[in-house]
Amino acid sequence: MTMAAHAADTAVTILLVDDERTLREPLVDYLVGQGFVVLEADSAASARSILREKKADLALVDIMMPGEDGLSLTRHLIETQNLPTILLTAMGEATDRIVGLEIGADDYVTKPFEPRELVARIRSVLRRAGRTAAGDEGEDAHYLFEGWRLDPLKQRLTDPDGAVIPISTAEFRMLRAFLDHPRAVLDRDRLLDMVQGREAHLFDRAVDNQVSRLRRKIEDDSKQPHFIQTVRGGGYRFAADVTRVPG
Amino acid sequence: MARVFPKSLLGQSLLAIAVTLLIGQAVSGLLLYRAAQDRRDAATVNAAAFHLLRMVNRETDSPRDIRRALRRAEPEGRIDIGRGRGERRRGLPPRLSGMIADASPLLPGERCAAGEEAQLREILARQGVAAETLVVTIRPVAQDTLLASLADEFPRFRARWRDGLSEREVMVAALRMPGESRWIVARALRPPVEAGVLWLIAAQTVLLFLVLLAATYLVLRRITRPLARLTERVESFARTHEAREPLPERGPEDVSRLIAAHNLLESRIAALLNEKDVMLGAIGHDLKTPLAALRVRIESVTDETQRTRMAETIEDLRRSLDDILSLARIGRAKDPPEATQLAALVESVVEEFEDMDRPVAIAHTDRIVAPVQVTWLRRALRNLIENALRYGGTAQVSLTREGSAAVIAVEDEGPGIPPEDMAAMLEPFRRGEASRNRGTGGAGLGLTLTRAILAEHGGELRLANRTQGGLRAEMRLPLS
Repeated sequence: MTMAAHAADTAVTILLVDDERTLREPLVDYLVGQGFVVLEADSAASARSILREKKADLALVDIMMPGEDGLSLTRHLIETQNLPTILLTAMGEATDRIVGLEIGADDYVTKPFEPRELVARIRSVLRRAGRTAAGDEGEDAHYLFEGWRLDPLKQRLTDPDGAVIPISTAEFRMLRAFLDHPRAVLDRDRLLDMVQGREAHLFDRAVDNQVSRLRRKIEDDSKQPHFIQTVRGGGYRFAADVTRVPG
Repeated sequence: MARVFPKSLLGQSLLAIAVTLLIGQAVSGLLLYRAAQDRRDAATVNAAAFHLLRMVNRETDSPRDIRRALRRAEPEGRIDIGRGRGERRRGLPPRLSGMIADASPLLPGERCAAGEEAQLREILARQGVAAETLVVTIRPVAQDTLLASLADEFPRFRARWRDGLSEREVMVAALRMPGESRWIVARALRPPVEAGVLWLIAAQTVLLFLVLLAATYLVLRRITRPLARLTERVESFARTHEAREPLPERGPEDVSRLIAAHNLLESRIAALLNEKDVMLGAIGHDLKTPLAALRVRIESVTDETQRTRMAETIEDLRRSLDDILSLARIGRAKDPPEATQLAALVESVVEEFEDMDRPVAIAHTDRIVAPVQVTWLRRALRNLIENALRYGGTAQVSLTREGSAAVIAVEDEGPGIPPEDMAAMLEPFRRGEASRNRGTGGAGLGLTLTRAILAEHGGELRLANRTQGGLRAEMRLPLS
């Protein structure tokens, strides 16, 4: 099993695009140490020329580069090759993240990052890329349920009055799992599996804890839940109809 | 009251001009009126003197003549009371103007007009008449018993009376010659007030005011228009910090120079702000990239304790850098505030700490929706909770509505802040203890940043020591 996973990883080729050699060098070492094959480019132009000859499974792109910037390159990579992309940036503003995700980047990492987290995100993006390759039903479409709206891109939840309900990434993932499977019973293992992302450590805590937090935010009375109902011995079920509209 | 007194330069200038003009015209009007009054008085005195002298001269013809004349002058029955129109200007008929009477015509309680008496005495003296007694009084015609009784008695006089005679004033002068017991009484109507003068002054005032008003308005508008545009511009610049096309330098030199100076100032400030942004972006990029490289490199350190410590140091550096960059960026946030459920916001921040097993509890949350910038406000609250944990060990968070404000309070059980240090705590790089030891974390920008974030929301940060010990930090947000 571990051998198989390792073997799968060795097949993964990452294109790293960053103009800073000081970062590129140790990062290449680290990623290679983690079992990836890494292609290096110090500019958007050299990234384009490398991709003409070789194939990559995922691109790590620094946004701020002299010449053509990372956003423009990312747009090109997604449009021409449908290449999963993670953006690297020194800025930490939410708007930058949204711009990056809006042009189609799969994730966004702020410098300085924890190398392990970067790897976790690379794996998560690759996993999702494999899953959604078949039937992409519009990742950006908003979820609607009884006046509530969830914008998956901005991870933004609004109540029927239009007020923003701030939720954590973990809560967002759990809610999204429920909204993807309305009226279906989801047991704890399945929920855990679906929401497990980079914050895997969060889920050392019981799924129940996350559910009760989510309930506090969207239920009128979390003791008498209307949306997220407990199924005896089974898990949880989202008890409302969900529609999706383009964002 | 506020509406009565104009606030603008134009309004106040016009008001000042109007008041000045009014006072000036009132003074000159008063002087003109006084001069007219003096003329009127002199004319009345002269008329009275003329009638007295007429009677005196007749009397001195011979004693018999006097008696006859006196008898003839008895008012009863044989008095020519005059006739005709133009009652406002006409005098009395000769027989009423001068007559002989047994008693002083002074009514009970009536005072002698001293000024007129002196004038009259002087005129008489010049004509060689030495009066033993001379009384002069001015009274309304309506109060003159003789004229009133004549009006009662004679229909023709009544007509005059009604035509306006009764509204005029009459000077009654009585002269007793030495050795005589009877009085010579003269009556002279005072010429009416010349209302025309007052009308003239009023019309003049209005005309002057209109001309001045128009002139002042034209001049002031040349000043106030560019001034108003400048004010608008300064206000919008204070809000957005964005330089636009320079304002045209219009108006009188004083104003156009001010505009030119503002244009220069605005472009300088905008340039400085832009430079600051570019510089901070560069700092962010230039420092964060090597920091990221360092973070990757330490993964090859085999000693796990060392590696963890290095990672912590890098994390501290990152947070300080973030605080500095945020503090510099705040106020230029691009995302507009959104109506947000504050209870959920507070909960989500507290949950972050719960996930890290930090002792943070939620005491009470009201359901309050307010327009806020979620990312920034979370950060402000996170800073307060981190401070509470750092200095007080625990944190208790609550959200309540107080009047028209939402209050997010973070309470700890630490030592609090000495009252004399309270104000200084909000300054940048200030920490609760003298050292800037990494062990307690942060660059000391936390409260400054929190306060700046609240100011951006129109709210404020309040710090207070709790009576039961510990600090209470309140984020107060206005609810519209």
